[in-house]
Amino acid sequence: MLRRSVCWMLARHTFFLSAISNRPVQFLIGLILLLLLYANISSSTQYRQQITTQNYYRELVRNHWEEMPDKHPHRMAHYGYIAFRSIDPLSLFDRGIDNYAGNAIFLEAHKQNTVNFSEAGLSTGLLRFGEITQSMVLQLLVPLLMFFIGFGAIAADRENGTLKILFSQGTSWKELLLGKSLGLWLIGILFLLVGMLLLVGTSLFIPELEMNSDWWVRVLVLLLLYSIYFWIIAAITSWVSASSKSAKLALVSLIGIWLLMGIILPRAIQSGASWVFPAPSKIHFDSMVEQELIKKGDSHDPNDPYYKALKDSVLRAHNVSTIEELPFNYSGFQMKEGERISTELYNKQMAVLMGIYKKQNNLSSLTGWVNPFVPIRLCSMSFAGTDFSSYTRFQEEAESYRYRLAQQMNDWQIQYISNKKPTPGEKGPAISRDFWKVFPEFTYPSTSWKQGLNEAGYSVLMLLAWFLFSLWLLIFRSQKLNAL
Amino acid sequence: MWKLCIKNFVRTSVAQVGISAVLIAGIISLLIGRQHLVKQQEAVKQTMVAQNEHINRNKEFFSAELGLLFYYLKFSLVNELDPINGLSIGQRDVNPSIQSVTIRNLENQRYDTDLYNPNVLHAGNLDLSFVLLYLFPLLIIASCYSVLSADQEAGTWNMTRVQARKPAALLWKSIVIRMGFMFSLFFVLIGLAFVLLPLSINYRILLFVGTGMAYLLFWFGLCAFIISLNKNSSTNAMLLLSCWILLAIILPAAVNNYLTSRYPVPEALSTMVEQREAYHEKWDMEKTPTLKAFYKVYPEYEKYGYPQENFSWLWYYAMQHLGDEESKEQSASFMNKLAKREAAARSISFFIPTLHTQHQFNSLAKAGLENHLLFLKQTANFHESLRKQVYPLIFENRQVDEVNWKALSVQKFEENQHNDWVPVFLPFLVFILGLFGISWKRLHSMV
Repeated sequence: MLRRSVCWMLARHTFFLSAISNRPVQFLIGLILLLLLYANISSSTQYRQQITTQNYYRELVRNHWEEMPDKHPHRMAHYGYIAFRSIDPLSLFDRGIDNYAGNAIFLEAHKQNTVNFSEAGLSTGLLRFGEITQSMVLQLLVPLLMFFIGFGAIAADRENGTLKILFSQGTSWKELLLGKSLGLWLIGILFLLVGMLLLVGTSLFIPELEMNSDWWVRVLVLLLLYSIYFWIIAAITSWVSASSKSAKLALVSLIGIWLLMGIILPRAIQSGASWVFPAPSKIHFDSMVEQELIKKGDSHDPNDPYYKALKDSVLRAHNVSTIEELPFNYSGFQMKEGERISTELYNKQMAVLMGIYKKQNNLSSLTGWVNPFVPIRLCSMSFAGTDFSSYTRFQEEAESYRYRLAQQMNDWQIQYISNKKPTPGEKGPAISRDFWKVFPEFTYPSTSWKQGLNEAGYSVLMLLAWFLFSLWLLIFRSQKLNAL
Repeated sequence: MWKLCIKNFVRTSVAQVGISAVLIAGIISLLIGRQHLVKQQEAVKQTMVAQNEHINRNKEFFSAELGLLFYYLKFSLVNELDPINGLSIGQRDVNPSIQSVTIRNLENQRYDTDLYNPNVLHAGNLDLSFVLLYLFPLLIIASCYSVLSADQEAGTWNMTRVQARKPAALLWKSIVIRMGFMFSLFFVLIGLAFVLLPLSINYRILLFVGTGMAYLLFWFGLCAFIISLNKNSSTNAMLLLSCWILLAIILPAAVNNYLTSRYPVPEALSTMVEQREAYHEKWDMEKTPTLKAFYKVYPEYEKYGYPQENFSWLWYYAMQHLGDEESKEQSASFMNKLAKREAAARSISFFIPTLHTQHQFNSLAKAGLENHLLFLKQTANFHESLRKQVYPLIFENRQVDEVNWKALSVQKFEENQHNDWVPVFLPFLVFILGLFGISWKRLHSMV
């Protein structure tokens, strides 16, 4: 039998008496609110700077592309394109790995370049201390405050004897724990709502930021997930407070949990994961791709058996004896084949590398079953569109665009460029600049809530498991607690 | 009396559990540091082998035309690792320690990154500098926060005060014992570092150890100050923990947010775009102005004249180089902006011991932004010296064996900045003397 009125009374008591009307706590609440505000201001400044710069250069790159004069298609393939990683509007809330991901990549024929200019690469070592974002404040600092407020929620009552009085008046353990947790949870919710209001408010004032329905869905999902998270934190707090002998011990345990689970373990595990599953360096990776390529056939080598055989078979099929007699541009044809093969091999090696990275990441996300700070971090990044997959998605999209660009140019070369070499003094072969406009701009869709869910599915599950576990703990395990 | 105090401390669970936990974390951090060093050294070795193979293979294919051969050939410059990097990985996991460049335009290659898992970078490294910066202070806090208050709360303090000749000295004794343990732990880890990593005793490592010790002393000073406020244990713990959160998490992050938005670097993208435009537009321009501009930079090549045929390597490499020339302004202001970021971080860090310590560690480990900027600069020099060796050979259409291949092997860059010890210790000295001075006065007047 659970009396709601009793729960509410206890919750109100916890919320107003031990939190809102307590001086040092008022100070801490003010401090965290200030940090939320600071996070909001600095994220939005950074977002606006980045988005303005990016939009400017994206347009510039496109204009330059379309304004290129008549050219040989292969020149255009080397002129290439510059792709920019789009920044999710919700990076205002959770920057995730954004600062560690490169922002621009030069796409050209034959060569897969790296995504360069990550904020981390341009940063002083300071960035490695972390950064202040709304998500960081909500994930780490608000729980700490809840621990500070709630450590004595039950332990202090026990120490000063009020617990006995409460029980003698007919309150049950269930009511007590649920009520106190509810009160603590409301404190978390207070910050959550302030944070979300700030987020919506700031987003409204950024003209470049589109708040479409998908944006709203993701914000609501984040709101829901963080509410669950704060419930778990509140439940842990009151449980630890109820099962500790003294308030001091409860405080020490809670601080210990926070330090270990919130700060130290996530770093240690991810760092350890890259130790357990070592990834190759760039030089190693490049030479592996090169080795494979040599095995398959080197298009640079005029006597390479693979390309010699290819040439012979093409000549035979068209019943001619020299390349000049072919009805299409042979060097374009050979480059097309070379591009196909090198891209295939590169993608194969890339898949291996991504496999290693995923193993590293899975090992650390697995700890979410024992560490409640982990699932929320992962969900939050995924729904904010700033997680690992949002980055790899950009890489894949950029690579596939690069491939399409190179092959389109090869196709045009095959079709429109003559096999005959120009005589000295003659202008080199070229195709009309009208072709350039036909080739579309590089765009890719931003993270949708469905993708977020797809990526976060597992961590959402862990979060829900923690939620159910906390309920079970408070409702069914509480009878075993000691009132004295 | 000393013996009793030591016994007293050793029996606490903080001493036993805390010290062993930090010891284990320290050992793991050294192993991670070692793996980092090994990975980097392997990469360097592999670079040497790969560069040789790469050159030999391409020599076979393109021996007829040096211009074409050098179009493909890549030459590497290695940013030498200091073994101290195993103690403080710094930015060496984000920024590449090896640059491989062709003699084509530089700006298109200079900023290429290494391959990495962004999640790992985001989580941060568990290196010894992390153990020192984050975990040691926690251990110090845990062992010191109740030095006076625990006795007061247990009711034994009044008795001690009456019986001891100098009760304040007793408190200092307790603090000194804790210092002894923490410093021993620190030295055990440094000793292990010498076993696990290829470290040798030199000025830099001494400075590293000195910085670490000064940082630990700073935290003891802070603890002594909080103890001297004479509050109860819970308040002490809360106050010290708040200091830790402020110094290790909030302030550094806030400063970082400030620097990022104060010094944005759109120059990165403008360099990238400008360099590409400047080079590619030359393909559709008259050859003479291009060559003229090239000879303006390198008058010594003007003797090669103004060839007008459809394609010549002279013209090609002139176009490539003009890409760099014409984006020089953007590139310089890009570097300038980064240097400004570094300078701002440097000056702010004097006032925040955690930042100061990390900055020192990174700079001693040659793993900070400063080192990276020097390396980028050196890459430009390396690229230029390569080009100057090869240009005449290409322009004169020499044979492959006329190239001095030995001179084109992997080169190394070693940062030789001298780290002055005065600016390292001065900020610490101010903090340490201030904190200990105030707490000395307070404790003596109190008891």
